[in-house]
Amino acid sequence: MASSRQGFTSALRGVTRTLNGKRPPPLEQQFWSLRLNGGSRRLSTEPAPAETSLSITAAEEIDIKQLAKRYRIAQHARAVPVSASYFSRTPTFNDRYLALDKLARTYSNLPVVPPADAEQVVWKSLPDLRRSIGEPVKATDYVNCLAILKRLHQIHPDLKPDIVKEALEDFKRDVQGFLNRPAPIPIDKFGRALGVGKRKSSTARAFVVEGDGQVLVNGKTLADYFGRVHDRESAVWALHATDRIDKYNVWARVEGGGTTGQAEALTLAIAKALIAHEPALKPALRKAGCVTRDPRRVERKKHGRVKARKGPTWVKR
Amino acid sequence: MSAPNCLRCLLRPSAGIPVSSLPRSTPFALVRAAPFTTTTANPRPKKEAQADGKPKNHTRAGKKLKLGKFKKEKVGDRGRPPLPGERKAYRKRITLSNDNAIPVPWLTDLGSADLANPANMARVMALPVELQDQLRASEAFKPTQCWGMFRKPAVLVRKETVDLANRMQNAVDKRQTLRLVVTGDKVTGKSMMVLQAMAHAYLNNWVVIHIPEAQELTTACTEYAPIPNTDPVQYMQPVYVLKLLQAIKRANENVLARTYTVNPHPELSQSVPPNTPLLALANAAKEPDAAWPVFQALWSELTTQGANRPPILLSVDGLAHIMKISDYRSPAFDLIHSHDLALVRLFADALGGAVQLPSGGAVIAATARNNAPRTPSMELALAQREAEQARAEAQANGLDPNAVEVPQKDPFFRGYDDRVEAVLRSVQVLRVRGVDKLEARALMEYWAASGMLRATVDEKTVTEKWTLAGSGVLGEMERAALLTMRI
Repeated sequence: MASSRQGFTSALRGVTRTLNGKRPPPLEQQFWSLRLNGGSRRLSTEPAPAETSLSITAAEEIDIKQLAKRYRIAQHARAVPVSASYFSRTPTFNDRYLALDKLARTYSNLPVVPPADAEQVVWKSLPDLRRSIGEPVKATDYVNCLAILKRLHQIHPDLKPDIVKEALEDFKRDVQGFLNRPAPIPIDKFGRALGVGKRKSSTARAFVVEGDGQVLVNGKTLADYFGRVHDRESAVWALHATDRIDKYNVWARVEGGGTTGQAEALTLAIAKALIAHEPALKPALRKAGCVTRDPRRVERKKHGRVKARKGPTWVKR
Repeated sequence: MSAPNCLRCLLRPSAGIPVSSLPRSTPFALVRAAPFTTTTANPRPKKEAQADGKPKNHTRAGKKLKLGKFKKEKVGDRGRPPLPGERKAYRKRITLSNDNAIPVPWLTDLGSADLANPANMARVMALPVELQDQLRASEAFKPTQCWGMFRKPAVLVRKETVDLANRMQNAVDKRQTLRLVVTGDKVTGKSMMVLQAMAHAYLNNWVVIHIPEAQELTTACTEYAPIPNTDPVQYMQPVYVLKLLQAIKRANENVLARTYTVNPHPELSQSVPPNTPLLALANAAKEPDAAWPVFQALWSELTTQGANRPPILLSVDGLAHIMKISDYRSPAFDLIHSHDLALVRLFADALGGAVQLPSGGAVIAATARNNAPRTPSMELALAQREAEQARAEAQANGLDPNAVEVPQKDPFFRGYDDRVEAVLRSVQVLRVRGVDKLEARALMEYWAASGMLRATVDEKTVTEKWTLAGSGVLGEMERAALLTMRI
């Protein structure tokens, strides 16, 4: 009886192989059957194509009466979904969420690494997730899900089971920005490191070598090139902030923009070249504000305004 | 413009005269009650005159346009407006000491041989009081220099200073004339080099004739007149020469009092017999008319061969101005070349080597970078002299002298001046650059000791300021360390 019951259940679930020995339709066919109309768009007035390339056939109807002849219990049968989430609003998400939760409980005693040491990953944002699953996932649920994700992600990479890795893959964004690592700046045979920096519309290239504090910008000394003392200070700020001003010489080319932009482009260029010499200085330089490029540019002018934001002068009439 | 008071109220006190200032003896009613008037005999005085004694404006009652309703009333009294020339005097004043600065205990005064002594290199030394007076009399201090920040004026003895002082000393030892042009980038200390040369000269009892601003001679801001019996015509600048004579007199008083005339000077209105102190000769010029002949007489006395004469230093700041066509016009309304101005010609001849100084001496000119006209000939000549010096140096060091290229004239350019080239054909050029770190450190230690630089002077700060100043340009170091406010 048990075997017949199992066979019956699988018959109801649509696993037809055991029932009538038929192979399931190929994956592509299943995919096409999901589409509303057979792939290419056409107007309703157009005649339907005579024959589609893929012959889509519906699953065989389950004939309860026939089944009842073999399995007497079948007369009491009703169709029940595989997953309990079937009746919820977000069945796929719920299934995954539950799976993650189960994994988290299962592997909760594996050793973890501190969050800062874990590999940096960009998780799917809520809109991304909604799009990929096609379900209106609630934000709260997603937040809870993320917490579990992050907990699982913290498991020590050497001990992380494959099943966890696979489960996490679904939630990672397709493009992982953290994998784009800039190529390390080499130090050439003359001991120079070339850093490039930009600010506003200026570009600076700075060759930094070990030396005694000489700076040449476009062939001129710092005082000749920058009239303002403030600009001079910001040009060598990276060296000043790390107490390295008497340890390096700088030869730089700057173009584009105005004096402030050029000076601050130089800051960035010198900082990058300095990191090539001494990578340990990076945190200090980041603190001094010399690592991140300032993305601000001139704001575009808008119609109805004198400049980007300035309103025209008020006139009475 | 309307009158402040209308015609009806002529008898009332006008805006300028407060009521209280009217003579008390006059009965008030008498003044008020005019014999013939259409106004009421007894007007209400309280409403007419306001509390401050000014009468009310005669404006129509009713609405009127009032712009700037919320503007504050202007404060009437702004004090005395500055007199003509007062602002300029304030701008150009020279302060040589600051009582709030801390006196530096280790500061020593300059002695006569100190500037030529290599041991004093990279040391800051103070100017003695009498030297200060002499330098002030000859206007060697400039308002743009930071003298007013410290307790007493002091100078940094640089490598170039020692070099220059030694060259001056060598020239005098050989009874020759050092002819030298000090040049360099902006605020590198060219004027200060001239000041140090003058200090060396004063300390060694030279006679110093200094033209503080060459542009005063050629920008047509001082009077000029043709000198009779000169061909081609030369021009004297009597007012300027009188000022210069007085400066020479004040600055070189001791030396001139000890030097005596040897020639009679019949051309002077005042009789100057031989064996008169040169100071008395210089005193003979009391007004501009007599200035030029007196100056000429003084110069001829100073350059008389065979007599016991002190060495002479001729110095000028802003050389480019006297190496171009001046802004003066001849009677034919042609522009006059600077070298046709007699005083400038005297200087140019000395710089060109045409004058033999009896006991030797120096002719030192400094170029200026701000406010200097383009003088292609001078620039080219200086570049050529510098390249020649570099060649000679390369040869002395056993290097290939041909590696240094001497710049040549542009054959397609017409702006060259032969007279300028002739003057600068054989001068020496001293290029002033930034100081090295040792000198920068000495200077910064002096600043810190004076309380003007509030930072620990160590390798790091010195290098920082040195870098910010474009490899130790002195003026820029001052800007970066002293003149920029740090709170």
